[in-house]
Amino acid sequence: MSAPAVIAAGETAQSVTERICAVTLREGARPWTPLWWWVAFAVSLGLLGMGVISVAWLFYAGLGIWGIDWPVVWGLDILNYVWWIAIASGGTFISALFFLLGVEWRTALNRLAESLTLCAALCAAIFPILHLGRPWFFYWLFPYPNTMGLWAQFRSPLVWDFFAILTYVLASILFWYFGLLPDLATLRDRAGRPGQRVFYGVLALGFRGSGRQWRHYRAVYAVMAALMAPLVVSVHSIVGMDFAGSAATGWHSTQFPPFFVFGAALSGFAVVLVAILPLRALLGLQAYVTARHIDVLGRLFLTSSLCVAYAYLMDAFSTFYGSDPAERTMFVLRVFGLYAPVYWGTIVLNIVLPQLLWWRAVRMTAPLVWLIGLGVLVGMWLERFQIIVTSLARTQMPSSWGQYTPTIWEWSLLFGTIGLFLTTFLLIVRLMPVVAMAEMRAMLRGGVG
Amino acid sequence: MPSLEGLPGDEEDWIRRFPQLEQALAHPLDRRRTLKLLALALAGGGLAGCDPGTPDRGFVSAVRAAPGVVPGVPNIYASAHVRDGYANGILVTHQMGRPIKVEGNPGHPSSLGATDLFAQAAIQDFYDPDRASGPLHDGMPAAWQEVTTALQALRAGPDGAGASGGAGLRILTGTVTSPTLGAAIDALLAAHPGAIWHRWDAIGREAVRQGAARAYGRPAMVIPDLRQVNVALAVDSDLLDSAPGHLRHARAFAGRRNPVLGDMSRLYAVEPTPSLTGVAADHRFIAAPGACEEIIGRLAAALLHNEEPSGGPDWLGAVVADLRAHRGRALVHLGPDYGAPAHTAIHAMNEALGGRGKVFDVFEPPEYRPVQPVSTLSDLMDDMEKGRVRTLLILDVNPVHQVPRFAAVLPRVPLSVALADRPHETARAARWHVPLAHGFEAWGDARADDGTATILQPQAMPLYGGTSAATILRFCAGEVGRPARELVRQVWREHLASERDWRAALAAGVIPGTASARLEAAISPVMPPVSPRGAASADLTLLLRPDPHLWDGREANNPWLQELPRPLSKSVWGNPLLIPPDLARSMGLRNGDEIVLSVDARRAVLPVWVQPGQASGCVVGLLGSGRRHAGETGDGVGTDLYPLRDAVGPVRIAATGRRVDVACTEHHATLVADTPSDIVRHGTLARFRQEPGFLGTAQDHRASEAALYRRDPGAPVAWGMSIDLNACIGCNACMIACQAENNVPVVGRDEVLRQREMHWLRIDRAYEGTPDAPDTFFQPMLCMHCEQAPCETVCPVGATTHDSEGLNVMVYNRCVGTKFCSNNCPYKVRRFNYFAFAEQERRPPISRNPDVSVRARGVMEKCTFCVQRIAQARIAADRDGVAEQVVTACQAVCPTQAITFGDINDPDAAVRHRKASPLTYGVLPEQGTHPRVTYEARIRNPNPALES
Repeated sequence: MSAPAVIAAGETAQSVTERICAVTLREGARPWTPLWWWVAFAVSLGLLGMGVISVAWLFYAGLGIWGIDWPVVWGLDILNYVWWIAIASGGTFISALFFLLGVEWRTALNRLAESLTLCAALCAAIFPILHLGRPWFFYWLFPYPNTMGLWAQFRSPLVWDFFAILTYVLASILFWYFGLLPDLATLRDRAGRPGQRVFYGVLALGFRGSGRQWRHYRAVYAVMAALMAPLVVSVHSIVGMDFAGSAATGWHSTQFPPFFVFGAALSGFAVVLVAILPLRALLGLQAYVTARHIDVLGRLFLTSSLCVAYAYLMDAFSTFYGSDPAERTMFVLRVFGLYAPVYWGTIVLNIVLPQLLWWRAVRMTAPLVWLIGLGVLVGMWLERFQIIVTSLARTQMPSSWGQYTPTIWEWSLLFGTIGLFLTTFLLIVRLMPVVAMAEMRAMLRGGVG
Repeated sequence: MPSLEGLPGDEEDWIRRFPQLEQALAHPLDRRRTLKLLALALAGGGLAGCDPGTPDRGFVSAVRAAPGVVPGVPNIYASAHVRDGYANGILVTHQMGRPIKVEGNPGHPSSLGATDLFAQAAIQDFYDPDRASGPLHDGMPAAWQEVTTALQALRAGPDGAGASGGAGLRILTGTVTSPTLGAAIDALLAAHPGAIWHRWDAIGREAVRQGAARAYGRPAMVIPDLRQVNVALAVDSDLLDSAPGHLRHARAFAGRRNPVLGDMSRLYAVEPTPSLTGVAADHRFIAAPGACEEIIGRLAAALLHNEEPSGGPDWLGAVVADLRAHRGRALVHLGPDYGAPAHTAIHAMNEALGGRGKVFDVFEPPEYRPVQPVSTLSDLMDDMEKGRVRTLLILDVNPVHQVPRFAAVLPRVPLSVALADRPHETARAARWHVPLAHGFEAWGDARADDGTATILQPQAMPLYGGTSAATILRFCAGEVGRPARELVRQVWREHLASERDWRAALAAGVIPGTASARLEAAISPVMPPVSPRGAASADLTLLLRPDPHLWDGREANNPWLQELPRPLSKSVWGNPLLIPPDLARSMGLRNGDEIVLSVDARRAVLPVWVQPGQASGCVVGLLGSGRRHAGETGDGVGTDLYPLRDAVGPVRIAATGRRVDVACTEHHATLVADTPSDIVRHGTLARFRQEPGFLGTAQDHRASEAALYRRDPGAPVAWGMSIDLNACIGCNACMIACQAENNVPVVGRDEVLRQREMHWLRIDRAYEGTPDAPDTFFQPMLCMHCEQAPCETVCPVGATTHDSEGLNVMVYNRCVGTKFCSNNCPYKVRRFNYFAFAEQERRPPISRNPDVSVRARGVMEKCTFCVQRIAQARIAADRDGVAEQVVTACQAVCPTQAITFGDINDPDAAVRHRKASPLTYGVLPEQGTHPRVTYEARIRNPNPALES
C-alpha cells in the first residue's frame, strides 16, 4: 500500500505560490477577509480582554485573589505555564527536528506549526512573571550588574528556567522569522497595494533571492534548526527540573526531564492536529496538507502517547520501588483520593483514547483525530494539575495537608491566554503565508529546503 | 450646615446610628464659627502632644533606675496580668514608652518567667481600637463631669443618698484578690452599711472554694506541688491549663517528665473531653461527668475507708493500688466543674494518702473575703426582680451576656453603672457606662494563688481614658480626689514603709513576704456524700466549658486569640460543638455539619466538630463566642451558648442538613494512621530503660551525611534549638509570644478557610490509635534552620540564605515571591503574604515591635530564631564584653521550659546538653536537611499493670 502523496497531483511551483499568496494578499476572486476569521478574531479578542482584566486585577489586588494557599503555593499559574510551553514544542519538533531528518512531509506543515509554537510560547512566557508575589521585580532573576551587588542564585531551577524560556522564545521567534524571509520577499514582489508592498518590503529585510543570499539563508537555517532541535529538548527537561530539582513529594524524580519532553511532544502534535484540521478546510489547503500529513501526524501522536504511557508507568513503579512512605501515601491519594478523577481523566485522555489511532481508518477520519487531539490537550492539562496540585496538597507533614480550588481569576487568566494564543495565531494566519512557499517550490523541484 | 443631604438614608436613620448627631444638628454653626473651632482643634492637637508625664509620678524600671527613654533601647517594667482575680507576674517591654511585649516575671511565684497566652495577648487588648473612648449615658456619649454628678448621688453625706444608709446599693464584682480593691469595697460598705457586695464569675471556682472550706472547716487554698508527686490522678482537671497557678504547676509537672533528666512521675487522667492535662497523662481514661462523680465516690470508698474497689471501671483497681503504693507522694486533683462535696472528698483522700506538707499544702486563701459574702448572683437577681436594688455598680463583669436572666431584670434598677473596658453587652444595658482603664493604665494590685501580692503599675498614659474599680468605689464612699496610686500606696503603707521598699517592690514585681501563711487546720472528719448528678442515661450530656482562648468571652475581640488554633480541634474564629466520634457515626455527622442544639426550649444553631477521645454521649460547647458587642473583631464570631447554660432538660441535637465552613488550621484526617510515627517519636519508659537511644538520632539509618552543597557556616557561634516533647503540654502560649514578638499578622476567618494563616510557629497535633480513645501528641513546628536548607537552593534571587551562625535568614526586600522555597520546605513552615495582611490589621502601628520588619504583600516569611534578640545580645556583648544569653520569644514564654535555645558550639550551653540526650532526633531525617531544631522524643510512663 503506497502512502498518499505529500502534495496533490498537478501542483506546480507557480500554482503553489499563487494559491498561498492569494490567501495572504486577498487578491483576485475574493479580496475580502473571510467572515469566519472575523468571528474567530472577535471571540479571541473577547477572551484576551478577559485575560487583560484578570491580570490588571491581579496586579492591583495581589496573589490572594487566586486560590493558592499555604501548602499549595503553586496552582493554575504554574500549571498553565507548563501546559503552554509543552504546546509550544510541536512546531519545533516538526520544523527543526524533521528538517534535520530531511522528511518531505514537514514542508507543508512547518510554517503553521512554528506559528503555533510562537503563540504558545508567548502565552507560557507571561506566567512566570504573573505568578510572582511581586511581579514588578521579575528582572531580579536576571544576572545583571546592579548597585545592590546582588546576583541571581544559579542553583535554583527557576533561574535555569528563566534562561531556558528566554532562549527558547527568542530562538523560536528568530527561527520563525528567518524562515519567513524568502516568502515575505515573494509577497512584497507580488503585492498590489502600496501598503502591502511597504509592509512586506520592510519585513523582507531586502531579501532579493540572489544566489549568495540563498547560500547564506540555507546555511543559517540549517544551523538554526540544528540549534532548535536540542533546545526543545532542553527547555522541557528544565521545566521538568523545576519540579525534579525540588524535594517535594511527587516531584523529586529523576525521570521528570524526559517525562516532560514526552509530554511536550504529545501536546505539541496534538495542537498541530487540532489547529491544522480546520484550517486546511477553511483556507483551502487540502492540496498541500494531504491525508498523508494527517496520517503521519497521527502516528507521531500515537508514538508520543505511548512514550507518555511509559512515563506514567515508571512514575508508579519508582514510587513503589522507592522506600519513602510519604511518596507512597501521596501516590495512593492521587490515584484514589480527592483528586482521583483528575488522575483517571489524565490516563483516559492521554493514553487510552489515542490508542484508537492504531487504526488507519480512525487516522483518516478528520473529526475523530481532531477530537482525540483536543482530548489530549485537556488530558495534558489534567496531568499537570495532578503533578502540581496533588503533590503539594499531600507532602511529608500531614499537619500541612491541604486543598486547592482555583478561583474565577485563575480560570479567567487561563482563558485569557487562550485568547492571546488565538489572537496572535489568527493575525499570523491572516498576514503571513501559511505554507512555506519557497520550501514547497524547492520540494517540487526535487530537493528539500 | 445641619443637612444630611447627599447621604444615603434619611436623617433619623443617621441619628440612630450616630446619636451625637442629634445634638450637633440642634446647634447649627455658621461657617466662621466652624472654621474657628477647626483651628482650635488643630491647635489643641498640638497641645495634646505635650505629654503631661506619667500618671501619678514615675514608673520604676526593673532593669535600670528610671533613666528615661533611650531610643532603640527597651525598658522593662514589672506588673501583673490578672485573670478572674488571680495574678501572674509579668514584665512589660517598652520601646520608646509604648508597651510592645509581655514576658513572665521570673521572680513571681505564679509566673516563674512564663506567661499564659492571655498575658501574651494583653498587648492586643491594650491597643484594641474598640475600647471605650468615654462614658455613656443611656447609650449617648456623656462627659466625665456628668458621671461624677450621677455618682455624687451615692456619696455619703447629708445631701446624698448615703443618708439612707446605702439600702438598695449593690456592688457586683468578680473574684477579688486585690487588697486595694478589697479595702475600697470595705470603705464603701462602711460608708453605706446597707450596701451589699456580690461576687460572681462567669467561669467560677466557687465549688473549689466551698469544697476546701468544708474540708478544713475554714476558708483554705490547697496548693499542690507537682514536683514532689510521683503518682497523680487528675479527674477532669485544669491543673495544667487554667487553674490558678497553672504555670507553676506545669513547670513542676514538666520537671518530672523527661527520664534523661530525672525520675519520671506518672499521671492518670479521667475526663469527658480531652484537656491539656489529659493529653499530658500517661493513661487517659474517658468518662462522662456523671461517671467521674461515681469514680470519685468509689475512690473515696477505697482511699478513705480502705475498701477494695469493686465495680466501676476496670482500671480503677490498678490506679488505687498505684496511689496507695506511693503513699506520701500521691495526689488526686479535681477540676472546677464538680460540686463542693466532691472537692471535699478529694481533699480528704489527699489527706488519707499522707501527702500533706509534701505533695500539697493548705494555705490561707488569697481572695478578699474568700467564702463569706455568699451573696450570689441569683440572690442579687431575685432582689433586682423585686425592685429592692436601687443602685447597682457592675465592676468589670459582663452578666448581661453571660446570664440571660440578668439582662431581663437589669432594667428594674433605677441607677445601674457598669465599669467596663468597652461598650459591651452589660455596659450598653446599664444606664451608665464608665470606661475601665486597662491593667496597663491604672494603679492596682493583685495576689497570686499563693497569696504573693504584686503592684500593678501603669505602663502608659490611658489611651482612651478610663478609671479603675477602686477609684470608683472610693469616690462613691465619699473619698474624693485621692489618686489611684495613693490608694495602693495607702494599703501597703505598713508593708512597704519606706519609699525605697515601695520602689523595690515595684521594680521586682512582687511584694516580699506576702505569700499566704500555711494553715494548720485539720481535715474535717465529716465527709458529705458525693452524689452523682443523675444516673447515666441514654440522654446526651451537654458540657459548657470556657473557651481555651476566649475564656468567658472577654477575649472575643482579641484577633490573636480568635485566630489561635484551639489545642485539639485546631479550630479558629468560631466555636463548633465538639461531638464524640461514636455520635458522629451514629448520626452520620461530619465536621462542619450544622445542627440545632436544644436544651428544653432553648436552642442554638451551630456546626459540629468531631473530637476524638471525647466521652460517648457527651457534647461539649465552648462558651465565650457569639458576642453581640465585643467589638468589630469579635462581634458575631461563633455561637453564643450562654443561653443554654441554665436550661434544664434533655439535650437534643438535630441536623439541619446545611454545611458550615469551620475555619481550622489542620486539615488532615484525624488519625495517625496517616501520620508516619517517625515525625512524633514516642515510646515507653520501660523500653527507654532497656535501650535509651531507641528513638534517637542513632536510629536514623537513612539520614545521610552526603550533601550536594558543602556549607560550613564558619562563625564560632552556631544557633540551635531543642524541643522537649515530654515537656510540651500544647498550651499555645509560644504561638502568641511569637506573634507578638515578630509582628506576625492575623489574616481573619476567610483567609484561614483558604489556608493562609501566618503563624511562624505552630503546634502540630497528632493522634494515634482509634478515634474513640486515641493517644494525642503535640509538636511545636517552626523553621528548622536546616544546615542543608532546601529552601535556599531553589530561591532564584537568593532571598533566603544562610548566615555565618547557621541561621536560615529571609531577606524580605529581596524576595520576589516565587514561593518555591515553601514548596521545597519539607516542614512547611514558610508563610506567604498573599495580601497585605499586616496593613489590613486593625491594631495601630505603634503596637508593633520596632525591631522586626513588617512584611509587605507578596513576600515569604518564617521563623527567624528571633534574630532581633540575637542582634541585641551581640550588641550587648560587643559593648560590655560579656556574652548575653539569647532567649527566643517562644522559649521565654514556655511554662514548661520545653524549648532550649543557644549556641551549640558552646560546651556549657544548655542546648548542647539537651541535644546530647539519647532521645534527641530530627524530623524527616531522610530529607538530609540536618535541622538545627531537634526534638526530644516523648517517653510515657504507663503502669505495667494496665498495659495489656
